[in-house]
Amino acid sequence: MDMAAKFQDQLVFHMTGRRSGEGLAPLDARSMRPALFAGYRDLAQLRHDFPLVLLEPGIADGFVASLTVLVNHALEELAPRGIEGERLRKHVLRLERELRNALAKGGPGQLSELWAAAAARLASDTDESVSKILALAGRTIKVDGDLVDCDQALPSRFMIHAWRHVQSQKAALFHGHLDMLQRKLSDILRAAFVHSEAGQQPAALKAAVGGMHSDDFDFAAMSRLVGRNAPKDELTPGRRKRIEWALAVLKSQRFHPSKLGAAQATHEFLFDNVAGAVSAYRDRLPQVVELVKAIAVAELEARNGYNEADHDPFFEAYNEDSLSPDDFALFPDYLVCIPADRNDAPENAGLMDTLSSGLPVKVVVQVTDLLEEASLGTGHFAFGVRSARLATTAMGLGGMYVLQAAASSLYRMRHRVEAGMGARGPALFSIFAGAPEAAGELPRYLTAAAAMESRAFPAFVYDAAAGENWATRFSLEHNRNPETDWPVEPFEYADEGLQRVRSEIAFTYADFALCDQRNAEHFAVVGRDRWTASMVPAAQWLTLPEREAAERVPYLLAVDDKDVLHRVIVDMRMMQATRRCMLLWHRLQEHGGIHDSHAERLLAREKAAWEAQKTAEIEALRKSAAAAAPASAEAAPAASAPAKPAAAQAEAAPEEKVASDDPWIETARCPSCNECQIINPLMFAYNDNKQAYIKDANAGTFRQLVEAAESCQVAIIHPGKPRNPNEPGLDELIKRAEPFQ
Amino acid sequence: MASPLSQSIIRLHEERHELEDYQGGVPRWCSGCGDNAILAAVQRLCRDENLAPEKTVFVSGIGCSSRFPHYMKTYGFHGIHGRAFPIAEGVKMARPDLHVFVNTGDGDCCSIGAAHWIHALRYNMNLTVILHDNHVYGLTKKQASPTSPVGLKSNTTPRGSVLEALNPLTVTLGVQNVSFVAQAVDWIPELMYDIVSRAFHHRGFSFIRVIQRCPEFLPKMFEPWLHDPGKTLLLTHDNGLRPSAELGRIYKNQRAHDPLDIHKAREIASEEDPIPVGILYQNPEVPCYEDLRGAGKPRTVEAVRKGLDAEFDKFTIWPDEAGRQRAA
Repeated sequence: MDMAAKFQDQLVFHMTGRRSGEGLAPLDARSMRPALFAGYRDLAQLRHDFPLVLLEPGIADGFVASLTVLVNHALEELAPRGIEGERLRKHVLRLERELRNALAKGGPGQLSELWAAAAARLASDTDESVSKILALAGRTIKVDGDLVDCDQALPSRFMIHAWRHVQSQKAALFHGHLDMLQRKLSDILRAAFVHSEAGQQPAALKAAVGGMHSDDFDFAAMSRLVGRNAPKDELTPGRRKRIEWALAVLKSQRFHPSKLGAAQATHEFLFDNVAGAVSAYRDRLPQVVELVKAIAVAELEARNGYNEADHDPFFEAYNEDSLSPDDFALFPDYLVCIPADRNDAPENAGLMDTLSSGLPVKVVVQVTDLLEEASLGTGHFAFGVRSARLATTAMGLGGMYVLQAAASSLYRMRHRVEAGMGARGPALFSIFAGAPEAAGELPRYLTAAAAMESRAFPAFVYDAAAGENWATRFSLEHNRNPETDWPVEPFEYADEGLQRVRSEIAFTYADFALCDQRNAEHFAVVGRDRWTASMVPAAQWLTLPEREAAERVPYLLAVDDKDVLHRVIVDMRMMQATRRCMLLWHRLQEHGGIHDSHAERLLAREKAAWEAQKTAEIEALRKSAAAAAPASAEAAPAASAPAKPAAAQAEAAPEEKVASDDPWIETARCPSCNECQIINPLMFAYNDNKQAYIKDANAGTFRQLVEAAESCQVAIIHPGKPRNPNEPGLDELIKRAEPFQ
Repeated sequence: MASPLSQSIIRLHEERHELEDYQGGVPRWCSGCGDNAILAAVQRLCRDENLAPEKTVFVSGIGCSSRFPHYMKTYGFHGIHGRAFPIAEGVKMARPDLHVFVNTGDGDCCSIGAAHWIHALRYNMNLTVILHDNHVYGLTKKQASPTSPVGLKSNTTPRGSVLEALNPLTVTLGVQNVSFVAQAVDWIPELMYDIVSRAFHHRGFSFIRVIQRCPEFLPKMFEPWLHDPGKTLLLTHDNGLRPSAELGRIYKNQRAHDPLDIHKAREIASEEDPIPVGILYQNPEVPCYEDLRGAGKPRTVEAVRKGLDAEFDKFTIWPDEAGRQRAA
């Protein structure tokens, strides 16, 4: 078969999606996977971010840790460098693998429990020293918590844990403050009681002294004594009522759970639907208003700063409309963790309204299927418009924190998640939990990572509070190679002659689609003997001009279950989807300041203008080259001539003096030493900055001016000329005044 | 921590203070004394920052300088000789919400209080410290102080002082945890105010050495510097002082100095003529002792209970091993 015929089959498949002839084999998506996945057959053997430990509160900073990192730290602490520590390292790393295997098979559990169980299993067929090593390593890991893998439940567990972590920090601050206010208000009431008549009765005094020494005192006499001398109750009825009201409200708050055990149950802030959270928010608004008012009243009372004339009308008018985001920041945020299959449910229809209205709600949306078909049934890829593009839409609304990430990168983005949970106002977290069961047998960690790498579900963060512009608010930093269309990874394989070949492969949307067996129809495997020069890698095909692309067929590299490399050609529909994915990525890139079209256009315009200007200058120089040399020599001083008077002017300025016969003071230099005012406080005075000036030159004599000038430590008083020609001893005074003029 | 609502209410009805609100009587310093310039700058600062008088404390030791709290209509603590620093640290530790200033003299700080001074620098608590350095004990009528120059004839050194003067700037810059060191002179009020203001805004131990005249006992000491602006070196920087154009025309001897550069700061600190004026060193990253020790934390019911339990446990007789371990 000639080359043209081979290519014809491929072109037909590419254009129509129909395989004709024998040269193209159907894709068996169960065994075939993108070539870059060849090294990820068994994730349990690979040390990576997962599993994670959702840390128990109060033991360590942060809320999550990677098992790999914890084991590394333990090994650094325990195992000496070199061969001596090798045995210990080997056993502990074996236990780490065992934990990964156990987690993949069974459910999650506490790290300490799973560690102990795995250690017992491993130690059962070895000597006792292994058991000791593993127990020692377990004790070295000081933290504990649930061990979780990258499974379907991860996004909700991870986000709820992060939310609880942030809320507990907030609650600690809140309680510290509330406790201080309660003590201060109680102290005020207590002090008032002690000063009151009731507080000065013998029985009250006896109770205050306590039982041990009560026989040593005559409380009746003490009562007479303190009753005579101590001040009486200074609390007005209004103030007492206000303080008691504030105290009661602070004690009965139901927002943050108390560590000491609240008298009544606290409010629930965790919901699985938007409508429930909004309804609870509305119901609790009156309590929020009351508590905000009580805290403010308590703070004012604690500093004795409550002014009834000013503050009573203010608090009377304070209502739900007066609450600001700063006020809500004191309270727990509502967390709505929408189950993966309920994104489109009626109770979540108000999601966008809720987010855009600024309510303190954090919403977690889980996306499970990025390759679903459009709801219109047109056969086109919908790109998960209904859920996956939610974050981009929310970002368009502004005024909130938006984070989009695949579950596989949640650990790397943990600080961003924590910041989002702690952000004021609403936040949206859109998490891709990995492809659904129907997609195939690849682990969720891989499909989630593939979605992010392929730009199908790029990671980004938009923080409306982080500055004034997109450059500070928006970040694409967690994506690989954010400046390129597709991430490019190094790839090595052995050719037919078993020689090592090194190349680079771009990971595209089509590669991601290849992981999903439901898309098998869009791909066809081309046998080695039918490879032609007209086949180009899919990423390269997208960059070709239209005419050239029409003569080429895009292909991907894939490996089967025996790790044999294949070329898989892609049909037009899949390539269209890949191109659309790239365009959506370009839009995000522009938000992130990468290939900003406005900036590039401006740059091109400026560059063209600059080039035109330089060309004109060169042309002008060329023309004047024939001109005589002295002419240009004269031009230079002429050009710099205007600068000279300006410089001279600047030099001349300090020389200016006040040309007047009136006395004056260099006020700015006065060090406020009082000397002049001691001589005549009517003549000399201080300004607002406590520096001297002449208030009234006629309020004293020329002699006083001269004496003030002489006594001034910094010599800034200038006496001027005498005003009264008949003042005695004037000649001598004028002479003494000369150095100060 | 104050709630946003009470903050806005307090702002709404905030009382504005005038200079007079901080003036506590007529100073009894000698006429022409440089202490007056420091007082004027500090009172201006209090007014411009609208510091609540009841939230402001001036702590001093003994000496002319240490009469300072008497002339401020705020809280004050006229302490004992050399002990201004421990008192101020105690105040700050118990009440971190207060603005605490320390006024100390060259004798008070560099002689009898030197040990406290060194450790106060190490603690780096958020205090604004002004060393009134007039090179002499003035209150006790002219005795040589640690900063008196060699050859100074005084009541304790009638044949002239024989020891080299101590340089407070090089000492402070040699202590660990130093975070802010500046030098001012009392006869340039604009810079005095700017430096005091920068020191106030620095979070940490802000140490200002003010070279001041004593017209009573050392009337001629700084005359050459008073009359020749070239003998004053202004240290300028975007993160330091930016003198006005008017002042710049008088004091043309200027040098750009980055306050983060401690090595250069040490070099400059050693220079005595011309007198360097400005921010020699500022490092906002040095931790404050009150932050490290959690000063001012409310003693919650829970904390009190825990503390009491811990105390009681020390005297509890435990019936079993588990209890002993718990106590340990």
